[in-house]
Amino acid sequence: MRQYFGRKLLIYALTFFAAVTINWMIPRFMPGDPIQGLVARAQVADPASVDAMNAHYRNLFGLDVPVWEQYMNFWGALLRGDLGLSIWAFPTPVSDLIVRAIPYTLALLIPAILLSWWAGNRFGAFAARRKWLDNTILPVGYILTATPYMWLALLLAWSLAIVAGIFPVSHAYSFSLTPSWSPEFLGSLLAHWVLPFASLFLVMFGGWAIGMRNLIIYELEADYSNYLLALGARGKLVRDYAFRNAVLPQITGLALQLGTIVAGALVTEIVFSYPGIGYLILQAINSQDFFLLQGVFLFIVLGVLIANFIIDAVYTLVDPRTRVRLQGAGA
Amino acid sequence: MSQADQISLPAESGGAAPGQPAAPAPVAARRGGDTLYFALRNKKLVGGLIVVLALLVLGVVGPLVHTNSPTEYLGTPGQSPGGEWLMGTTMFGQDVLAQFLHGLRSTFLVGALGGGLAAIVGMAVGFVAGYRGGLVDEVLNMLTNILLVIPTLAVLIIIAAYLKVRGVMVEALFIGFTSWPWAARAVRSQTLTLASRDFVDLARLSGVPTWKIITRDIAPNMSSYLFMTFILLFGGAVLAAATLDFIGLGPTDGMSLGLMLNNAVRWSALQLGLWWWFVPPGLGITAVVGALYVMNVGLDEVFNPRLREM
Amino acid sequence: MRNRSRLMILLAAATMVAAGCTGGGGTTPPQSAPPSGAASAPAAAANGQFPRNETLYTSGTQYGPPANWNPIREWDFATGTKGLCYETLFLYDTQKGEFTPWLAESGSWTGDKEYTLKLRQGVTWSDGKPLVADDVVYTFELGKMETIPYHPLWEFLEKVEAVDPATVKFTFKEANYQQFANHLYSRAIVPKHVWDGRSEKEVLDGLNEKPVGTGPYAYHSHDQDRMVWVKRDGWWATKALNLDVKPKYIVDIVNGSNEVALGLLLQNGLDLSNNFLPGIANLVNGNFGIKTYYSKPPYMLSANTAWLVPNTTRKPMDDPEFRKALAHSIDLKTIVEKVYGNLVLPASPTGLLPQWDKFVDKSVVSSQGFTYDEAKAKKLLADAGYRDRDGDGLVENKDGSKIELELAVPNGWTDWMESIRVISASAKKAGINVEPVFPEYPKLVSDRSSGDFDLMINNERQLSNTPWLYYDYLFRLPVQKQQNTVNFGRYENERAWELTQDLDRTKVEDVEGMAKITSELQKIHLDEMPVIPLWYNGLWSQTTSTAWKNWPSAEGSAPKNPPTLWRNWIELGGIYTLTNLQPAQG
Repeated sequence: MRQYFGRKLLIYALTFFAAVTINWMIPRFMPGDPIQGLVARAQVADPASVDAMNAHYRNLFGLDVPVWEQYMNFWGALLRGDLGLSIWAFPTPVSDLIVRAIPYTLALLIPAILLSWWAGNRFGAFAARRKWLDNTILPVGYILTATPYMWLALLLAWSLAIVAGIFPVSHAYSFSLTPSWSPEFLGSLLAHWVLPFASLFLVMFGGWAIGMRNLIIYELEADYSNYLLALGARGKLVRDYAFRNAVLPQITGLALQLGTIVAGALVTEIVFSYPGIGYLILQAINSQDFFLLQGVFLFIVLGVLIANFIIDAVYTLVDPRTRVRLQGAGA
Repeated sequence: MSQADQISLPAESGGAAPGQPAAPAPVAARRGGDTLYFALRNKKLVGGLIVVLALLVLGVVGPLVHTNSPTEYLGTPGQSPGGEWLMGTTMFGQDVLAQFLHGLRSTFLVGALGGGLAAIVGMAVGFVAGYRGGLVDEVLNMLTNILLVIPTLAVLIIIAAYLKVRGVMVEALFIGFTSWPWAARAVRSQTLTLASRDFVDLARLSGVPTWKIITRDIAPNMSSYLFMTFILLFGGAVLAAATLDFIGLGPTDGMSLGLMLNNAVRWSALQLGLWWWFVPPGLGITAVVGALYVMNVGLDEVFNPRLREM
Repeated sequence: MRNRSRLMILLAAATMVAAGCTGGGGTTPPQSAPPSGAASAPAAAANGQFPRNETLYTSGTQYGPPANWNPIREWDFATGTKGLCYETLFLYDTQKGEFTPWLAESGSWTGDKEYTLKLRQGVTWSDGKPLVADDVVYTFELGKMETIPYHPLWEFLEKVEAVDPATVKFTFKEANYQQFANHLYSRAIVPKHVWDGRSEKEVLDGLNEKPVGTGPYAYHSHDQDRMVWVKRDGWWATKALNLDVKPKYIVDIVNGSNEVALGLLLQNGLDLSNNFLPGIANLVNGNFGIKTYYSKPPYMLSANTAWLVPNTTRKPMDDPEFRKALAHSIDLKTIVEKVYGNLVLPASPTGLLPQWDKFVDKSVVSSQGFTYDEAKAKKLLADAGYRDRDGDGLVENKDGSKIELELAVPNGWTDWMESIRVISASAKKAGINVEPVFPEYPKLVSDRSSGDFDLMINNERQLSNTPWLYYDYLFRLPVQKQQNTVNFGRYENERAWELTQDLDRTKVEDVEGMAKITSELQKIHLDEMPVIPLWYNGLWSQTTSTAWKNWPSAEGSAPKNPPTLWRNWIELGGIYTLTNLQPAQG
């Protein structure tokens, strides 16, 4: 057990190290100078003022020391949770912006992932080898899973929000409210959440349903299923066994899909101007705020690593084979 | 080492939705004619193939027949479809049909290049790691695992954001070089099972060089699996490119379906009701990727007789 | 299995609610006043905590989240920091060309190099303290710090003294009337009793979280995507000038993207949008309740000039004849009509905004002006010795080498990107090889500062009290190693710069004297074409009248002020837009 998780942790640690290093390197090898952009926005003509401002910001962002020292400082700052100052929202710290955006992203992602995974698996398992259902679920599932997240979001925004006017088009809550625990505020929050959630949920749902349907068919064709049936076991029992076996690869599939799912959440937020991490990315790109962009990147990597680790743990707990094997290895 | 792999092996060969091909069945013994017979009978395969080919022809031949420039201002802005402009015009009076055809072309280009590149890298890494084993495997596997966890799109965003000029080719290149890890992992585990087969042992004993064993004995025996992997990588590359384009990190010159979506949103096509500007590009992407996926299921059924509908 | 799945739903629902609440609650303190009104589902249309009939919703000024309320940071303070909260000594009316005393009661030149300012009596800060001469002195003396944007003022200003609590005396090394007039209505006066003792870093980078100003509004709350101001009692102008601002709340919505603003506008969730909204002409002409300043093209007032800047240190842009040919090769009509849908006006050959018409010498323009004329461009090229030697339809340099010019605008500035594609196409037709390029903004900025570009488009000088600012932009000398705000093309003409300085030293009231100098400058400009004027960007402004009426408009007796809350425009008359507003109902 310890060996298994130890190895996993090592991989995650190395991944994080690689991500941080890539993150640090990219801007330093690319053209353009973020500081210059910052100073230019101030529209100062006087050369002395320009030099003074340049020096001021170079110092503020830690760009006035040797490269290796910058790298060490980068790590030092990172471990203190300091991701630098945002240019887009100067002088707000990047970490502040991210912390404020996280709840919105998680509020979309976690329910969408869990619910779509659960519902998709249920539906897929139910549809497998049931001719009529299979013929309807399967095409719908394929269409959904092949749909780019942003396009479905656009269609929903256009049809349900702009044309029908049922849901709000953008942002997280009404502009006539300030945050509080009042029912109106919570209601507004919910109304603004529905469409982005729905677009994420639907695309993912299609994927899980198809995956499950295919797995169930494999399982039903497996020797043990035929054997059970030949012994006179009821179809329902066999299906239950098949489902349990098929859930395991679906858990691994979740881990593998995390990156894509996060990407989907990002573009969905962009479509709905939902103030989460994806919206930050768009703003960072538009305003060339590389400090923010990199902070967000690191945060996403970290989030995906943590999620992966959780999925690993769940997998080990759920799968009887690994449980046995792990116990064996520990002994 | 081997422990972790045994844990993940049965898992990955499962069909976890669009990212993963279903478990391949060994097809070594089947005669070609037999496969073709079932392939032509398979509605999913044939249907998917027809859609993909039709769109491919549109993308390749379309711009040659319909020669309007996708970027020039040709007509009255914001025309709805029909009449002179079959698919309407954009806010600037650009021809949506021309944009769509050129967009399809670059979609296939990105898919083929990005997916192809990812398949080549993934296969090379997977074969070598699976066949050679030992330290090579250890290192390659570690690399694969690391890249597998890093969210590809986030890396792509960072890289693309810093590039001054971006073309379809460069985009495909980056997508290819970042989306291979899961393919490598899948190919590796397949190779592992094949590498212990008798005919491979025999070849090795008779002194055949490694690359020859891989290309002559191992790869052909999992060719169906490799092809399906390529198809999925193709679809993945198309979606990744569309996402990048939509965020505004797409090609700085040229046209793509994702860029059309990006432009439509930026220029308020939703609010102004210019649905013909944002519906077709999304539909195009969905059709290409969806048809590929359906094709893949069809292929799976062809190669794996147990899955055929009874 | 069934139990587990039920648990999952619960879990999912719980995370959502919790996340949503902390998301909101973490950013702004919850309000003590209980919200009233019904549920707020469809956008901002419903009544919430800010009653619709007391709230003005605006957008289009703020591109990042409100991050500071520091009036020194004129480029990124939260919308309204200057204008709604902090105020200036004068206002400048761009339509009439007049200065209106604001915090000042009067001001005049009392000597060759001496300006005396009388402060208005009865102006109080929002903390109750009176405005005194020391506050003005303190504000201007902040400019002695090198990193403060108005530091250049101290190149010609010698000292500022408080003669008595209501009188300030400025003594100059050199009387640059035009420039100083600009400072008089541009500098936000800050309270010395609050700011005293702040370090240079605090003054430049401080958030100034609890702004204490003299203006009609005070800070209420903010979030990532909005800034809320609340009306405060006791604004001096109510008593002194009989002006009152009607909206109790101003909610300024951060400009994530323009299409979102358009969506809100169509749902009556926005009263004033200062966004650039392509295609707005269709909506103004249709029955959507959206109004602009003019009901016909160009729909908007003009705000600044977009210029094509050639790098005059490079071949062949160092040749005035080539620059003139280039000017004649630009198909401006397509840009105005197709790219902008007639939302902008083609610029006068002098580049001076319509508001400065009195400074344009018509005879110079008619004899030396230029328009799009492919044949003329070709002739100019041929006469100057640029010929197509290899038959590719594009001319070569005089020495036979190829001409390959790059025209740059920042990536993502979509209307400009479209525009330079048009320019590239029409220039190629005339035989000039111009390729559009889209570097990222910081890259473009560093290239233009160091002079590492061929051609680019720039519009950084806004409408103001004086065309001097434009000629300063065109001709300022000496050319430095880094050219950060003016003369990006590095054009050197001693005579033009002397004339520009003469203009600066001409009294503001002396319109005739100014016009005489600008006429000379226009001759040089059109003769040498160091920078090519293209079009006038609009003062983008769209309004709806469901909650508020009496918006500025060219029609009838409607107010004639700029309908905008753009930064640095409230003191150009934007404040009158607010005082003229009336509730649409009751």
